[in-house]
Amino acid sequence: MDKWVHPALFFFIGSLLLPFFKGKAKKGIALLIPILSIIDVALMQAGTYGAYRFLNANVVFGRVDKLSLIFAWVFTIMAFLGALYGLHRKEDGHYIAGSFYIGSSLGAIFSGDYLTLFIFWEIMAFSSVFLVWYRKEQRSIDAGYRYLLIHIFGGLLFFMGMMLYYAKTGNFTFTRIFPDQASLPEYLILAGFCLNAAVIPLHAWLPDAYPESTVEGAVLMCAFTTKTAVYVLLRGFPGFEILAVMGTAMTVYGVFYAVIENDIRRVLAYHIVSQVGYMVAGIGIGTELALNGACAHAFAHILYKALLFMGAGSILYMTGTAKLSKLGGLYKYMPLTMIFYIVGAISISGFPFFSGFVSKSMITASAHETGRLWLFGLMNLAGIGTFLSVGLKVTYFAFFGKEAPIEAKEPPRNMLWAMGLTSALCFLIGVFPDALYILLPYKSEYHPYTSHHFAEMLQILSFTGLVFFLLVKKLSPEDKMNLDVDYIYRKGGRIFMWIDNRIVSPIDAFWGELYRTLGLRLLFINAKISYAFDRTVIDGIVDGSAVSVRTLGFVVRKLQTGRIQAYVGMSLFIFFFIIWFILMGR
Amino acid sequence: MILKYIEFLRSHMAALKKVLIVYLIALVLFDVLLSRADAHYLIDKIYAFWTIFGIVGCFLLIKVAKGIAHLFLAKDNDFYG
Repeated sequence: MDKWVHPALFFFIGSLLLPFFKGKAKKGIALLIPILSIIDVALMQAGTYGAYRFLNANVVFGRVDKLSLIFAWVFTIMAFLGALYGLHRKEDGHYIAGSFYIGSSLGAIFSGDYLTLFIFWEIMAFSSVFLVWYRKEQRSIDAGYRYLLIHIFGGLLFFMGMMLYYAKTGNFTFTRIFPDQASLPEYLILAGFCLNAAVIPLHAWLPDAYPESTVEGAVLMCAFTTKTAVYVLLRGFPGFEILAVMGTAMTVYGVFYAVIENDIRRVLAYHIVSQVGYMVAGIGIGTELALNGACAHAFAHILYKALLFMGAGSILYMTGTAKLSKLGGLYKYMPLTMIFYIVGAISISGFPFFSGFVSKSMITASAHETGRLWLFGLMNLAGIGTFLSVGLKVTYFAFFGKEAPIEAKEPPRNMLWAMGLTSALCFLIGVFPDALYILLPYKSEYHPYTSHHFAEMLQILSFTGLVFFLLVKKLSPEDKMNLDVDYIYRKGGRIFMWIDNRIVSPIDAFWGELYRTLGLRLLFINAKISYAFDRTVIDGIVDGSAVSVRTLGFVVRKLQTGRIQAYVGMSLFIFFFIIWFILMGR
Repeated sequence: MILKYIEFLRSHMAALKKVLIVYLIALVLFDVLLSRADAHYLIDKIYAFWTIFGIVGCFLLIKVAKGIAHLFLAKDNDFYG
């Protein structure tokens, strides 16, 4: 192996060293690990590294090309921003879980075969669940178990597909699959990937778990799981029409829920579904512009979504709630947080000069160019919903609106710095899109700043704003939760418990009673017969000698009186008896 | 400092509204005056298409989403216990 260092190693090894340090040294190392990984990615050359023969299969740890590199760039940058945002957190375990999560995401994007990918895929699930559990509330613990349940299910789909693929081809090589070659193994793998990409109806784990995770954990989670899935879909399944349709459905589905949700982090979680929908649709459309668009949008999305989660997390951290129905008037206490949040909100909405404008439009343009006008229209409708819910609803009801009886202040400095840096990146990408486009894997020309695009986006967003202010009362947050497809397994779990309580348990109890009354009696009778047989027949034959020896023992014992004169007398008697016996023998 | 600006805008809401209305009209005019020859999308040939799309889309989204939520989606927070 030549000079290639897997960036995941920094996270795996570095985080395990962390508990041995204290104070500033600990914080320094927490920031140094992602910085080293960014330098590592910057120095990386395209090629195949870390290829081994393992379990009669070829495994590749380092497939470095433009596609894996653009994800590595944004993952390592995000790791730094996430570490900075979470710098105030004391628990080492939280940091270690986060680092293993980031490291395994990097492991997944560099892996060149399904076996390596699967291992990192599972480490991701098992490390990220701790970011939910570390919130240490009963709701989070429950949500974490559901998160794990669903991811294990997704992992199983992937595993089944992988094994069938091995049986079919004799190897685990992970390369592009063309729609006409795909059969059951490939579709099982696709289903496993889609679950992690939160493709509906396999998405409910996301808005269930992310809003229950820790403030700092959510910032990481919103970046890595779905985007690793976007990467593997980009690598393996471009041009699958079903992805174009499902992706577009996701864009609308996500904003639909975001419009009615009350908890800011749930609004944002549904927006992950919506935004990942654009990427999945781009992958499904499959032209070079669309695939570049999916990559660019993943890059931009990780940053502005993290920024939004940082803003929402700051509100939760400082006020103790993220429910819009309990918030209001925060602009007085948290003006900087508000500005950073708004930068995230206008980036995700696609305002000119911010990152969403230069990335999302690549996908919508490719939908139009390939004649998918329905998808194009629905994606733009989702664009309206994005600005309506994340941009207007949350900003208005949390920072303005009716003043809630809450006094708060700006979050700690490290959180503000993380938000400030992320905001700057969102703006820079919007103004200098070529800095992002240069990282894209395919060759295709795209110019976002045309007068028509400008006019289109400004009209959509501005008139959305107008309607919002006309109907603002209709959108007043309600302290409710909304059903989603997790209803099936959350209520399904209860049906299972009901069947267990009402049907399985009574049968089990009856069986137990039957066993106690009838079974045990038969067993006792059997034991008595065996016992009698043992005593009379077996003991009679085998232990007869034992009884004789015992009887002799009794006799001998009686002879041993313990008196010295008796022993002497007995000895003399035996002595004379022997002498007499010898003399008589003559 | 930021607070001052926000408070200033809040105390001049009527003027702010007027400015925003002028901005919206200017935006529609900008679209109408754009050359249609180099339109990126077919729909761009229709005058102020995206204005209508924005208004209708936003209205529908609010009405439909809130309507369905009130119909059967919205439940009490302790619905799952």
